[in-house]
Amino acid sequence: MLQHGWRPWRRLGLRSRVTVAFALGALALSATMATLTYFTARQFILHERETAILRQAYVNASLARSSLLRSHSPDITQLFSSLDTVPGSMSVLERHGTWYATSFSVGENSIPASLRRLVLHGTPATQHFALDGSAQMVVGVPLPAADAAYFEVFSLAELARTLQILALALTGAALVTTAAGAVTGRWASSRALRPLGEVSKAAETIAGGKLETRLLTADDPDLSALAASFNRMSDALLERISREVRFTSDVSHELRSPLTTLATSLGVLEAHHDELPPRSRRALDLLTAEIRKFQRTLDDLLEISRMDTGSAELLLDDVDVGELARHAADAAGATRIPVDVDPAVAGLRLSLDKRRIERVVANLVTNAAQYAGGVTRFAVEPAPGAVRLVVADCGPGVPVAERERIFERFYRGQAAGDRGATDGSGLGLSLVAEHVRLHGGRVWVEDGHGGENRFVVELPYETRETHETHETPSPARTNGSRDRPFTATDVSFETETPQGAG
Amino acid sequence: MSSRILLVEDDERIRASTRLALEDEGYEVEEAGSGEVALNRFSEQAADVVLLDLMLPGIDGFECCRLLRRTSAVPVIMVTARTDTHDVIAGLEAGADDYVTKPFVAKELTARIKALLRRARSTGGPSALSFGDIEVRPDEGTVLRKGNEVHCTRTEFRLLCELAANAGKVLSREQLLDRVWGYDYFGDGRLVDVHVRRLRTKIEADPGNPRHVMTVRGMGYKLAI
Repeated sequence: MLQHGWRPWRRLGLRSRVTVAFALGALALSATMATLTYFTARQFILHERETAILRQAYVNASLARSSLLRSHSPDITQLFSSLDTVPGSMSVLERHGTWYATSFSVGENSIPASLRRLVLHGTPATQHFALDGSAQMVVGVPLPAADAAYFEVFSLAELARTLQILALALTGAALVTTAAGAVTGRWASSRALRPLGEVSKAAETIAGGKLETRLLTADDPDLSALAASFNRMSDALLERISREVRFTSDVSHELRSPLTTLATSLGVLEAHHDELPPRSRRALDLLTAEIRKFQRTLDDLLEISRMDTGSAELLLDDVDVGELARHAADAAGATRIPVDVDPAVAGLRLSLDKRRIERVVANLVTNAAQYAGGVTRFAVEPAPGAVRLVVADCGPGVPVAERERIFERFYRGQAAGDRGATDGSGLGLSLVAEHVRLHGGRVWVEDGHGGENRFVVELPYETRETHETHETPSPARTNGSRDRPFTATDVSFETETPQGAG
Repeated sequence: MSSRILLVEDDERIRASTRLALEDEGYEVEEAGSGEVALNRFSEQAADVVLLDLMLPGIDGFECCRLLRRTSAVPVIMVTARTDTHDVIAGLEAGADDYVTKPFVAKELTARIKALLRRARSTGGPSALSFGDIEVRPDEGTVLRKGNEVHCTRTEFRLLCELAANAGKVLSREQLLDRVWGYDYFGDGRLVDVHVRRLRTKIEADPGNPRHVMTVRGMGYKLAI
């Protein structure tokens, strides 16, 4: 994602943002619609009602006028009852300064004074006003011929309630629409983001080491573009990595021939070591040390490049772990330290690659000798479902911050800086980690007593990569060169689960 | 008389330095820069040990080894680039007795040569022994199957003798590596596996269903009489 300035709302996830946007959009739209609807409806209903009120008031006014004109002293009560009224409407009549009303609740004072004045002066008028907190409308019609004025007061409470219910309904609808907008936004963003989830899963898998992982190119043209560019990126990445790996491998292989000549010639010189003058002898010793180191580094590099190209194979043998540890420690020159095999794992046989475990031990012993004053204890200990090789040294302890990094390639901790001539290739511990990983095990360093380091190699009873080499028919380099096909009996050894740890 | 080594290697400098190292150890060294030259030299004068690089121009080490094997049981040590490729197995399948990995240490190489030569000379063990239609004559260094001689390499023969001397007993791969190849603890078990395979093709009626050289899973091999 491109970098943006600090915007708090960006802290929300894309999905939440889309949801919020949808909800706000729906809210704005529905609120506008509701408001428009409300006012249009209100105007229309009010207009209808006013028209009806006016019509009724004029009809009643003309009825009152004809009644008043018909007799000299008309019966006002009868006049009122002859009027055509609706529930909630009340009539008020003024004649010769006297006020009459159909209800006790209304009278002269119920009618706003300004309207009263206007009508009594001969101008018909209408007015909205509030009486006892409820909306009312009054229509005043002067009846000059009868020297009277007719007023009719209509209650608008019903209308107000109708409008209130309408407003309520519209608000409810707006809220529902907003919620629906949010849900739609959530759904749409989830759906739109689903391919992203797949991309992220694929990226995870690639990061996990499965570089061949690719996305399926979807039918959707938008998504297939994403999948295609993702896959192109993965291809490019893989190509780059394999080019680098190939380069390492090629360089290492190219170096092997001259190194063979160097090592062999050196062997010849060494055989004549004692015949050389002292200075030449010293020079030869230096040469020997450096070429040995060169050879070790190259071996390690080749090993690493084999791991990187995935061509590293376990040559599994059914071996006594304690015995293997003893042999490996001897071979690594840690002969002074007895190998302490826990009785619980004595005689335990596991399927292991002897050469690799020997390298693991040798590298740990070398590491201890170079950085921590040598091995102080070498033990084989039981662990749940696994066996541990523990190599302890005199310290100084590896700082916590470096404990993982020391297993990286060419990583040299602070301790490394103190030493003059190191014989390590800088790959030793990383190879330990790789060899152990091939066996499905783990390696780590922890604090021992008093500042010492404990390098712990944990090997599971079940080596993950079983059924290698011994059972794999070898593809011969030249076709049809083998005398006969391999058969089932060629399978000589199979890994077997050790019978418990003690 | 010093032993003759045929050194087959296309890299001139490696050849020259290896020659120096081997001559220092008292061997007589014959050089060949290609498989074709090696086969010619060998047919002119047999060597006691052939040191064969697998990566050769022209006919490669595998083919060269197979062609050598048609006429000779001479011990062959192949020189491979890597230990864990199929090259090792393919080379052993082609008839090599042992292998060293480049860059090799001269001492390691001469140790392997010595072990092979020792093996080639000493044929102690039980006197004549027979099982099924197989007859082993350690003193003559021959194996007969139905009265006809079976052509075994020295290593195959040693392996058979070792198994026969312990007939009915299981020998682990470590034991066989130690007794037949003179390897210490870290020998490559594939040497045993491939040689057992090769031996079976020669002495078993049905190599895919062996009756004599039996695999004991997880333990090793034994000779069933």
